Formats: sequence, structure tokens, C-alpha cells
Amino acid sequence: MSFVFSKENLLRIETLKKRYPSPKALCLPCLWMAQHQEGYISIDAIDTISEEIGIAPMEIYGVVTFYTMFHLEPQDKLNVQVCKTLSCKLCGSDEILKHLEGKDVKISHVECLGSCGTAPVMQIDDVYYEELNPEKVDEILKSLR
Amino acid sequence: MSEEIDIVIDSKTYHAKEGSLLIDLLIKEKIKVPYFCYHESLGPDGNCRMCMVEIEGQKRPQIACDTFIEPNMEVRSTGKTIEKVRTDILELELINHPVDCPTCDQAGECSLQEYYMDYGLHEAKVSISDKVKHKKHVDLGSNVILDQERCVLCARCTRFTDKITHTHELGIIGRGDDARVSTMPGRKLDNPYAMNVVDLCPVGALTSKDFRFVQRVWFLQTVNSICHGCAKGCNIFIDHNRVKYQDDVIYRFRPRRNDEVNGFFICDEGRLSYKALQENRQETALLQGKEIREEEAIQEAQTLIQKYKDNISVVIDANLYSEEIEAILRFAKKINASVHSPLDVYIEESFKDDMLRSAHRAANYKTIEALHIDTHEPKSSGLLINFNHPQNFNAAAHIDFLTHQRDVPSLVFPIADYTENSGTLTNEDGILQKCEKAISRNLPIPTVIEILLKVKV
Repeated sequence: MSFVFSKENLLRIETLKKRYPSPKALCLPCLWMAQHQEGYISIDAIDTISEEIGIAPMEIYGVVTFYTMFHLEPQDKLNVQVCKTLSCKLCGSDEILKHLEGKDVKISHVECLGSCGTAPVMQIDDVYYEELNPEKVDEILKSLR
Repeated sequence: MSEEIDIVIDSKTYHAKEGSLLIDLLIKEKIKVPYFCYHESLGPDGNCRMCMVEIEGQKRPQIACDTFIEPNMEVRSTGKTIEKVRTDILELELINHPVDCPTCDQAGECSLQEYYMDYGLHEAKVSISDKVKHKKHVDLGSNVILDQERCVLCARCTRFTDKITHTHELGIIGRGDDARVSTMPGRKLDNPYAMNVVDLCPVGALTSKDFRFVQRVWFLQTVNSICHGCAKGCNIFIDHNRVKYQDDVIYRFRPRRNDEVNGFFICDEGRLSYKALQENRQETALLQGKEIREEEAIQEAQTLIQKYKDNISVVIDANLYSEEIEAILRFAKKINASVHSPLDVYIEESFKDDMLRSAHRAANYKTIEALHIDTHEPKSSGLLINFNHPQNFNAAAHIDFLTHQRDVPSLVFPIADYTENSGTLTNEDGILQKCEKAISRNLPIPTVIEILLKVKV
């Protein structure tokens, strides 16, 4: 196995383990740590997590494929997640989507991001970008390159 | 909790244990209830929702597989409401199913097909072109092929690898209408019991590479038998058929439920043992490699027995039926021969596991022991009569009774194998079990007993 959790992550896992009656509860936190550490979740990482928390690799793989937020392959483009739910739709998410088309980013339409007060909203990695308009989107993308 | 109580189902009273599962009672009493995900070996899962019944006092229909029997329970398994519920749930199951039973290998033994005839038969609201497409031919490994479009996601196969074999190869990936059964990327279904998922699968999603598209199941005749792969004596069905102008052929072995012996399953090696059984059969009598007629062979045997009088050893295969072993013992007594059945040759420790596979790879060695037959090798003798024992022994002259061809330059009699004959076996736990005759060959091969009756000594 070539995947090894970083020291900090191992420490976090140990702290989290004390919180739950079973280490199996750490499936999602471990997956997040692996994804943050490597940028994606490799099969090696799944095997390492499996040993760490005692869930079969296949079950963890099922969890990874269930959630759209986890990636099984390295992401070479920015993952721009645009909210497609009602408030954002009414406040112009269609315009944002149209504007993003043709740009060198991965666009995904996601369910409500829970920030209706500042619609339209998009999320890149873990950061929210709110009250968008096409110019603002250009600025954001430029700053991230 | 284990008190016997009365409950009412469809206005009839039944006895059942308090706290037991309602679906078990329905299945036992043969009350029609459709279900995909429930299986007696895997327990309830409650994901298919097909086994809905109405329970008096409950607002909505309940699933029978997760309802425990309580006193004064009143259950309705038929009626307009329940028919409607089942129809609607089946419609959901069928949304992305291709409904192409005529080209599906499961047709004839498919739960989905049966329930479709009962509760389906309606025009699909989703046109074929709008159905979600998945992979039609995924080789999962261990002779199991997956058609993801035909799957109803009952999770019986994944629960089998989780709960029964504990190997965890299968799981459900994706979600919504993208959900499907799969293995990990680059990994295969790999355990000695893997092909049981084919029997567990209620639909045509998992089929056996070995059997798929070979025979239509409604052409097959089914006979009860016992696997001869090891001393466990797993109960099996032999499915065979005589195709027009051809010989009677076995197409597959399937496990037959016996809670005292094998439960619901058999190992893959036993399941596939029917192939070797039908290859290289000894079909005619031989003398020094040349075919001879049976009468000539009997004549030759009588001469040999006369010549080596009082210097004869008999060796018996521990896979023969008890009836055959006893007939051989009587014959040996008549010709005053010593009887042996060396058992060491059958022991294969690497085959053994803690589920069904036994290290003793002889189906009837318990009978050999019970009859106090000498399990040492015969001392070198004048004439050695070998009744299909796998070992070769030194002797001045040999007579071999063989089911399968073997390179022996002696007098050879062909004998019927266990599928062409009926008889009883005692398994390693001392359970006496019966095998029925399955195969009737166009040119029948005589049984051991038939030949021995013809030899005049």
C-alpha cells in the first residue's frame, strides 16, 4: 500500500476514535482526510482506511461512489459546483452556468448549498463564492489560476 | 418469546411462535407472498418492499419480512389494497428493467418474471429508449456474469459475501438509478462458494458462465442426489436433459436445502464436478486394452478367479453406494478374497475449510469404517480385483471395475457412476442419505451389482 495518512491526520483519527463507540463511525472523516491529503481517493487509500476502521474496502468504495463530493481520480481542473436549487435559480444561476461554459473548469450542478440569502452561489473546493455575477466569476477564476 | 400462539391470516387460523418472522410463516404455509430481498439464509433486509401485507390495526401495509408475530394478529395477504401496493412497487422495480424475458437466461426460474405475470402486465410508462443503460456483461470472476440492467438491487449477493463467506467482494455502488452491484476496480469475486450467488439472485442479473444460454430451464429434468466431492454429502439437484437424437446429459448441479447437512449452499468445486463426471467414461469391457464383449469379459473373469483361488484381494472405492459395497463384500466372501479399502489416498487437508468442505474426499468412507473393512493396502497377491479405487496396486493379475478410463493393461469392466444408479451414502456426520438415479444413457452401462450377479463362481 503506497498510501499513508500524514502524522496530523493519524493524530486526528486517534482523537476521533475516542468519540464514538465503534471506529466504523470514522468512515466519512477518514475519506475527507484522504481526499484533502491527496486531492482524490485512491484504491490504496480505501485499503488503508479499511484497516484503520475495520470496514471492508468494498463497503467504503460503495460510500465513495455514493457521494458526488468524493473523487476517485485526480482532478486536473477546478471543480466549480454551481447550486441548481430554487433561490439560486431565481437569482440567476443559469446566467452563471452559461458564463462558465467553454471555460477550462469542471462544472457540476449541485443541490442546495444552503446559502439562499446570498444567491446565486457556487463552491470551489471548500470555499463558497456568493452573490455572483459574470464579472465576479471571471475575477474569482483569474485569482485562482 | 417462543410461545406458540394463534394468528389469523386471510380469515384462517395458523399456529406460530411468538416473535418469529411473519414471512417465514407465510412461506411455510405456502401463502403467496412476493419477495426479492428476503432469504432464509440471509435474514430480512427490507429493501425490496415486495412482501407487503395488511395488518389489522396498522395504518399502512407492512413488509412481512420485518414484522414479528404477535398475539391476536390479523393479517391480510390478498385484497384490492395489497394488490395495488404490490403492483405499484413492482412498477418501480421495472422502471429501468429491460423486460426482455425471451432473451434472458433466467426465464422460467425468475421471481421477477413470475411477479410480472401476477402484478405487472401493464404498459410501461418509461419507453425503452429512456431507460437507464448499464453494463450487460460484467465478468465478476469465479464463473459469475453480471447483467446490471436486470438487477433489482435486492442485495442478496452482497449480503452473501458479507454474512456467509465474509469475503466482502461484492457491494452496491453509485446511487439512485445509477446504483449497481459491482466489485472493487481491478478485483474479482474470488471464494470457493462464489457461484451460490447465482442461485441466490432472484432475477437474471447473476448467471453462471458455465450454464448460461446452454439450456432452457423448462427442458431440464431435476433429480435429487448427493454431491460425491467430499464426505460432507451436500444435497444437490441434478438438472439433466436428453436433447433430441443425443444422449442424456447433466447440465448443472444446484444445491438442495438440507438444514442438517449443507444448509442452502454447495461449494463451487462440487457444483462443477459434473463436468469431469461425464468425460472419459469407460463404456466397454477391455482385455489388455482391446474392446471385448461383456460375456467374454465375464468368462475371462471366471477363469482368473478360478486360477488364483484363495489368493485374491478385493479393493473397494469409498465412493460407491452402501448397497454396492455390501454386494462386493458378499461376492468377496464367496470367492474367499481379502477385502481392503485404503482411505489415506482420499485425504486432502488443503481442501478442507470451516464451512462445507471436508478433508475426506470420499462420499461413503463412513460406511467402509462401519463395515469394518480393512483400510490398509492389500499385500501383494495373485489376483487383485479393484472396484474403482483410485490407487493402483501390485499383483500378478488384475480385474478393474472402472467408471472412468484409466491406463491399466488388465481386464476392465465398465460400471455406472453415481448419477446412473441409485443408492445410499453415509456422510461424515453419520447421516444416511439417498441418491436417485438421474441419467439413463442410450447405451446403459451396467452397475457393479448387475455384473457381479452374472459372474458365476
